[in-house]
Amino acid sequence: MSTPLSKPQIIAHIQKSLDYTVFDTKWIPCSAKFVCLGNSPRGTGVMQIYEVQHGEAQLVKEVTKPKPLKCGTFGATSLQQRHLATGDFDGNLHIWNLEVPDVPVYTAKAHTEIVNAIDGVGGLGIGDGAPEVVTGSRDGTVKVWDPRQKDSPVANMEPTPGDSRRDCWTVAFGHSFNDQDRCVCAGFDNGDVKLFDLRNMSLRWETNIRNGVCCLEFDRKDIDMNKLVVTSLEGKFHVFDLRTQHPIKGFASVSEKAHKSTVWQVKHLPQNRDVFMTTGGAGNLHLWKYEYPAQRSKKDSDGVEMGVAGSVNLLQNVALSTQPITSLDWSPDKQGLCVCSSFDQSVRVLIVTKLSVVT
Amino acid sequence: MMSTDADSSPKTQSILMDCGGKVPVEHLDYGFIEKCTDVKYVEKILEVLRSGDEGIYPHLIQFCETHLEKLDPRSEAIKKDIPVATEATLNDQEWSQIIHDLKTLQEETKNTDSLQKQQSLFDEQLYDHLPPVRGSNLVIPLTKKSVSKEKRTLSKCPVPRDYREWDKFDVDEECEKVDDCLNEKDPPATSNTGFQKIKDEVETSALSHTEKLFLANREKYKGNEAYKVKDFEEAVAYYSRSLSIMPTVAAYNNKAQAEINLKQWHNAMKNCQTVLELEPGNVKALFRRAIVHKHMGDLSRAAEDLKMVIRKEEQNHAASKLLSEIEEKMRESKPEQTSRGKKILIQEVDDKDDVTDDEEDPQHGAHPVQHSQPVGGDESSAAPVERRDMGNAQKKPHSRGDGGPHCESNDSHHGGNWRSKGSSSDKYRVSQANGSSKRGSTASAQSDQCSSSSSGKGTAVGGNTTGSVNLDAPCGALPPQLCRLKNEGNLLFKNGQFGDALDKYSQAIQGYSDSGIDSPEDLCVLYSNRAACYLKDGNSHDCIQDCTRALELQPFSLKPLLRRAMAYESLERYRKAYIDYKTVLQIDTSVKAAHDSCNRITRVLIEQDGSEWREKLPEIPVVPLSAQQHRREEPPSAEVLHARAEKAARDAERRAEVRFTALKQEGNDFVKKGQYQEALGKYTECLKLKPEECPIYTNRALCYLKLQMFAEAKHDCDEALKQEPTNKKAFYRRALANKGLKDYLACSSDLQEVLQLDPNVQEAEKELEEVTLLVRQSLSNNSPAKPRKSVPITEVDDDTDTVVGNSENDSRGDNITVNLRPNNAYDFGQYLNATRHSGNMSACAKLLASTAPDKLPELLSTQLDGHTISFIMQTMDSHLVEKDPNLVYQHLKHLHTTDRFSVALMLVEKDERQRMTQLFERLAAVESSEFTKNDVQNLANRYI
Repeated sequence: MSTPLSKPQIIAHIQKSLDYTVFDTKWIPCSAKFVCLGNSPRGTGVMQIYEVQHGEAQLVKEVTKPKPLKCGTFGATSLQQRHLATGDFDGNLHIWNLEVPDVPVYTAKAHTEIVNAIDGVGGLGIGDGAPEVVTGSRDGTVKVWDPRQKDSPVANMEPTPGDSRRDCWTVAFGHSFNDQDRCVCAGFDNGDVKLFDLRNMSLRWETNIRNGVCCLEFDRKDIDMNKLVVTSLEGKFHVFDLRTQHPIKGFASVSEKAHKSTVWQVKHLPQNRDVFMTTGGAGNLHLWKYEYPAQRSKKDSDGVEMGVAGSVNLLQNVALSTQPITSLDWSPDKQGLCVCSSFDQSVRVLIVTKLSVVT
Repeated sequence: MMSTDADSSPKTQSILMDCGGKVPVEHLDYGFIEKCTDVKYVEKILEVLRSGDEGIYPHLIQFCETHLEKLDPRSEAIKKDIPVATEATLNDQEWSQIIHDLKTLQEETKNTDSLQKQQSLFDEQLYDHLPPVRGSNLVIPLTKKSVSKEKRTLSKCPVPRDYREWDKFDVDEECEKVDDCLNEKDPPATSNTGFQKIKDEVETSALSHTEKLFLANREKYKGNEAYKVKDFEEAVAYYSRSLSIMPTVAAYNNKAQAEINLKQWHNAMKNCQTVLELEPGNVKALFRRAIVHKHMGDLSRAAEDLKMVIRKEEQNHAASKLLSEIEEKMRESKPEQTSRGKKILIQEVDDKDDVTDDEEDPQHGAHPVQHSQPVGGDESSAAPVERRDMGNAQKKPHSRGDGGPHCESNDSHHGGNWRSKGSSSDKYRVSQANGSSKRGSTASAQSDQCSSSSSGKGTAVGGNTTGSVNLDAPCGALPPQLCRLKNEGNLLFKNGQFGDALDKYSQAIQGYSDSGIDSPEDLCVLYSNRAACYLKDGNSHDCIQDCTRALELQPFSLKPLLRRAMAYESLERYRKAYIDYKTVLQIDTSVKAAHDSCNRITRVLIEQDGSEWREKLPEIPVVPLSAQQHRREEPPSAEVLHARAEKAARDAERRAEVRFTALKQEGNDFVKKGQYQEALGKYTECLKLKPEECPIYTNRALCYLKLQMFAEAKHDCDEALKQEPTNKKAFYRRALANKGLKDYLACSSDLQEVLQLDPNVQEAEKELEEVTLLVRQSLSNNSPAKPRKSVPITEVDDDTDTVVGNSENDSRGDNITVNLRPNNAYDFGQYLNATRHSGNMSACAKLLASTAPDKLPELLSTQLDGHTISFIMQTMDSHLVEKDPNLVYQHLKHLHTTDRFSVALMLVEKDERQRMTQLFERLAAVESSEFTKNDVQNLANRYI
């Protein structure tokens, strides 16, 4: 491993204590502001906008919503509009104009139960094609929404009647490198990982990692799918190389035991797809780098191409809190700037240095 | 790790077994731990030690940890989370850097924020280019379709179990099923290499600048990542996308590197060139271009680029290594070139018309090259025409000297020769150059075009170089299908299939006349090529016919002439052959084959006709100069000269740049030390090197100010403002100079200008107050009748000023008489100022008389102030209105349309206004056909 001096450092820049439980934080694109979403002690939803200013996070705006807000994304909005899509405890999908956050610009009763995860693509110049939001819920369904279409989802991934409904904990978009191809990946509490192809409207691949899937993310949404990181309940994460799909073995993967507790989150650095941060249930952050193998694919005994997984390298690990870190978001504008929320009712703005020298 | 496991696990197992899975107390010992190599067991010991069940031994724990780290640095047990770093853990410098970065982020985002808020009005447009909504409520089952289950049941009973079932057994159907199964079982591995499907361009019309920047960067990052994983094609695709959003040097550079890795030399070359156009002297681009040059076989160019790189970055080891490698190769390759010169002319005779043709020799890729470098260069040698000048100059004479005899033998063993020809990229270049030289002036003009930008034809070819044959290479103005025919013809010709080639050319000619294009060059080439085929087939009559046709289209084209000569010769029509050879020699004296044939034919003719053979010859046509090629007289071609001159200019520029910076720095240092006279000298030298540098002018103006040389200071400020019309420093310093010159009105207008540009300049504000006071004072001191004339008088107090001022005025006065038609605002302003300062109204009157009234506003442009207006008025009043009232009227009509007129007018003092009124009165009193009293009245209203 590299010498300590050239290693990236994780620096706690700002810590802000809040009076509610915060579930998700997101940077507002092209700004030094971030949004916090959470649940106030009274059981209402809270949306706060903070601005990083002179080494402090200053509250710019606060709105209360009837239902606790679980998750949010800017992925499906244009850089000009920067509308936030959120999912709440009641299964609603809302899209808010943050300039006038009192009334949503889009509403849908998306699910019958809590929306656990949300992701967007097609906005912010990330991913060609239509702007779409995907939501995953405890009701076992994963639904894709187009903000231009009211009330009904454009795609609905649900268990066939009679099958058991599993709690969907996480969803992510990927493979959106032209205006037709697009994939959604969903992770479930029983360890199922399912990759849906939205172009062919089919289940493309599935696997089970034997433990609840807490979070998954493609290394980039807008390229030919390259890598997928899946984190699990028992402190492991798996990196799948998605370039070569073997007809039987599927995708090659490498797994790593990361935290001694649940790996709550994984987020790839927007400026470098091979660097990602995982957050642990014991309040620690691990920064990783994926190393590709010399050959990314090889022929198996039957002469069929199969992928070869690389390895992961721990760049830095720090303890930030004693409580789980529930969300983390890298700033799309400034490399190394990130914000994270934890169950100790605080948000922190972190700076990770020397990311550009990571080789 | 595996091995240690294997070694010690049985032992560990037994230990654990013995103690019921617990670590015995004896093992919590320095000696035991040191010897133990089983990672798992040491971890276990550590766990026990940490738990404190057996007592707390901090040092033993530490020892155990270090031992474990030695065994397995990645062990989970020693992975300790360090506390998060804070401000305190960083040194000041790093921290301030971070804070600075954050601050800039805040500022930048604030700007974009406000911009985007404005833009949000146009949201609707954004949806225009989006694909439609995917659909409504399309259901994807969470589990794979039940089809697979059916298949499983199927496979359980592949054959009928019952004899009766065999009767129903349909072999075909079962076979199909088996096939299906096979297909289903082994769908090919899906490999996600979708870069072919990545669009190279991005729709950006609806985006703002900041968004484009953001997106271009993203695409570049994607390219970089793909590059790192060696997905070069994907990388190129993403770099192209980035460039389509916003062209940046970095993206061009990276794309070039990716293309080098893909061996797409031409594209790489193009991108390097683009970088160097955008940023001359970009080291990376130079280095990459050197690599491309090297692979394309142009070692000298490569060496040149590398030298440039090393000059810029002395520590660049990669460059110096490559350079020495290349120099080595150049030394090796030189002797060989001369020895191989003989074969070249063969190609000259039947050589192709187009640069693209040569490239298609299918032999090229396969042949070993005389350099040991990769063959890439051969395939691609067509495009970068600028290479040509290098190898060409030295090699040409050889080709001429020995080519003759081969030309004849050509017919007999043509095929063999062709094959041997392709082997050297150097010869190849020669042939290229020869080809172009013989194509006459049109062709050389064409090649010039190519060399001026390797894009043109070169690029078109560039894309095709990877394949050894590209039949769709564009040539001339021919439509693609004709191009194809022609190229096919060329290929067949090269392969010795002359008959087939003939057909192709004939088809092309037919197609040409059908399509009705007007491109005589191309048709000429086609005819000429067909003639070559006829010649090879021994059909000399048709050959002559085609050559004649070609020559009708393009008189004095070299190849048709040469071919016709050969055809005549083979028909034993020596006279005609002689004439053609002679004509060839007139066009290009260097064609050895023609020389030899001439000599031969002369002998034959002498035998035939005796000593008077010459008289029996028909007249040899005189070749116009434009078609002649004086290759001998000017061995380095125009391109070489051009390139050299360019290089020299570049060098000089660079040297000047260095010297300029040094001088400027010295000047600035002197200023800091207060040695203004010395600084002045430095700045003056700077300006000799670069007369367009605005900051130097303002700096020198400062020196002049400090040295109390106000007139010069003002002049420098004027220069600076000419370069940069909104330079507030220049305005401010001109104000000071004007103040020094006691021209308070000009001073105040300059100061106002400064404040307009930047209201925060407190010095300017202060000065302005002061000057306003001075203006009033000076006005009250001066006699109301001739306020302006007093200015030079007061200047007498100041020695330097008067001297300078006067000499300047004198010289300018001269200028006015010499050049009464100033054609730019600066000159005009200069004269006007000069006349004004000297109070020389007659000069001013001349100036005004010589100026077209409609040009006046343009010429005055920024110079207009209250002062100038009143001076012009005075001049008109005293000198012009009587002589030429029409002109005065016209001037006045245009004067008020000048920029800032109304502002300047406000600065005009009361007594000046009276004078203005007087002028208008006088004007109104004049009887003129061009204007009436009403017109004057209207005009006067604008002024008073």
